[in-house]
Amino acid sequence: MSERSRGFLRDNALGLSFGGLFLVTLVGQALSGAADFNAQQVSNSLEPVTLLEYVTSSSFGVDVMENWQSEYLQFFLYIFATVWLVQRGSTESKKPGEEGTESDEKQRVGRHAQGDSPEWARAGGWRTALFSRSLGLLMGGLFLLTWIASAVAGWAAYNSEQLGEREDPVSLLGYLGEADFWNRSFQNWQSEMLAVGSMAVFSVYLRQRGSPESKPVGVAHAETGQTG
Amino acid sequence: MQRRPVPTTALLLGSAVLLLTGCSSAQRADVEQVATTFADTSVDAETRCDLLLQATLDSLEKEESAPCSDAIAQLPIDGGDVQSMQVWGRDAQVRLSGDTLFLTETHAGWRVAAAACHAQRDAPYECEVEP
Repeated sequence: MSERSRGFLRDNALGLSFGGLFLVTLVGQALSGAADFNAQQVSNSLEPVTLLEYVTSSSFGVDVMENWQSEYLQFFLYIFATVWLVQRGSTESKKPGEEGTESDEKQRVGRHAQGDSPEWARAGGWRTALFSRSLGLLMGGLFLLTWIASAVAGWAAYNSEQLGEREDPVSLLGYLGEADFWNRSFQNWQSEMLAVGSMAVFSVYLRQRGSPESKPVGVAHAETGQTG
Repeated sequence: MQRRPVPTTALLLGSAVLLLTGCSSAQRADVEQVATTFADTSVDAETRCDLLLQATLDSLEKEESAPCSDAIAQLPIDGGDVQSMQVWGRDAQVRLSGDTLFLTETHAGWRVAAAACHAQRDAPYECEVEP
């Protein structure tokens, strides 16, 4: 049975809060990024740029996209890894022995769908197959799109720097072989993998009362998958 | 004759690439005009000096111990036809048949940041004129 709605704001407080925080921090990145860019401009005897010029530049574009692609990669890998891999005692894991895509009955698909199940969970065929993988597919798709965007913006920003340093620009293929591209990718990926791994392990032994990301305070360390 | 509309996807992708790379065809026309005018030794010295980035002009006058309008005539700058042009954001490189120039965009338009540049193997270009 669906929970009773308590109004749009309360029912969507988590998404709205983080959406707001995202906008605030994006503006913060734009302002601080512009200040940093202009400090470099001045030290290179060049004119500072306006905020609008900066946020429409490849420099800002690559700084935003390189972060987005790593976040979506993190969620893409996390969603798929947690189907097949377990961490005993973690809130981020299924119970050992439950690895895999689980039964139709447990997943409430096809003839096991209930009255309030999404329509495509009941439909069967390609619709159910697609809907069953839609979260991972979306995250994977967004990762690819933002990684491509990061590569294109990074290529432009790199070539602008090359010209500023009196060096020849490179082709897109050339840029994909440059240390700049892979440094940007790996520096973002390492932090995402660290965050997920940390959460999977810390949630075994530590608690945050009231959070669904934590087990209830009194639940045993060895208990897997329970949330508070 | 019925015109075929440009596919929306192509338009969106093209716009995204332009936005991400910060380049446009209008920029290329401006860059070419500034580069060819500067490199044309038949153009009056004052006009050519106005096309220099301020920091580059200051550096030229300091090195030559003379005003730009006198010093610029002594520079080993050969013009010629545009062989290739690369514009990336606020920076550009123009290869002429007789010279290579590096330009940068200012609020007054594109300006020559470095001229009389020669490629060095595995190193930045060496330029006779730069900030």
